[in-house]
Amino acid sequence: MEELVAYLARTLVDHPEQVRVERIERDDAVVLQLHVADVDVGKVIGRQGRLVRALRTVVRAGGARRGERILLEIVE
Amino acid sequence: MTENESTAGGTRPPMVEAEGTGETVGEAKWSALRELERRLPGLDRSTVELVVLSEGERGLLGVGFAPARVLARAHGAPPAPPLPSVSPPASARPGRQAETPEAVMLVELLERIRDALGIDATVDVREAEGTLTGTFRGLDLGLLIGKHGQTIDAIQQLANAALSRRAGERVDAIVDAAGYRERRRATLEGVADRAAARVKASGAAVELEPMSAAERKVVHLHLRDDPDVVTTSEGAEPSRFVVVRAAE
Repeated sequence: MEELVAYLARTLVDHPEQVRVERIERDDAVVLQLHVADVDVGKVIGRQGRLVRALRTVVRAGGARRGERILLEIVE
Repeated sequence: MTENESTAGGTRPPMVEAEGTGETVGEAKWSALRELERRLPGLDRSTVELVVLSEGERGLLGVGFAPARVLARAHGAPPAPPLPSVSPPASARPGRQAETPEAVMLVELLERIRDALGIDATVDVREAEGTLTGTFRGLDLGLLIGKHGQTIDAIQQLANAALSRRAGERVDAIVDAAGYRERRRATLEGVADRAAARVKASGAAVELEPMSAAERKVVHLHLRDDPDVVTTSEGAEPSRFVVVRAAE
């Protein structure tokens, strides 16, 4: 799932080389931290948060498949 | 669902069968009947023979549960046309028309999503009248479609954002899963018709459930030619909804 998030984020940003996804295991969930360049934060969030909401929906579906709860955070 | 077609007697149209399952025999009958009607449009229900294959087991606390199974069969008249298969073998499908850079990108994007979600499906992208359509085909696409289509809509949104960026202009591609959009369109048109009928009967405005922009458009277009009602979209995204009112 990390690879997919990184790939999707790279299709949206100006600085794909700065896209990085970190996976953090918590007791109740897996957190994917998506790191992008400062100037690209708005690009992965989208108008009215539409793109980050879409990313979270896809990530949630992937988690459901594995029986995991996956959360997505965006980090500058 | 099994599918057996045999020709009985040569001159009669082929016998078509459909199996249905359900928690009760009644549900299984309906399910079998619906499936048969899908295969034999315009089916006369009085000609259908129903065979209870299994009454099912209710089970205890979910253990030992087995669904009831019913077989519905009827002679197709006229002979049934070739049935659209849910997932024809790859060799039977025409080659994908992924030639433009956008089409190639859409194929890659959809295949990556499919693989990350662990779904058994093929991806097919084609372009018609300037609209790019990417379609997943497979037997079990529920996860990919999501509740109220929210996952397939999310995939479409991400695809369009990526494609628009690549193309340098707005791209409105469609992402579909095994006929989901067509089924959804039929449902939305039914909702629109019922709302219009209620407005005409009562004169009061009817508010529909929140819908995406694409779904609202289906409703607006469907009721556009009805002189007795007007439609508008109200509320803020993502809960924007259509209101149907009597025309002045």
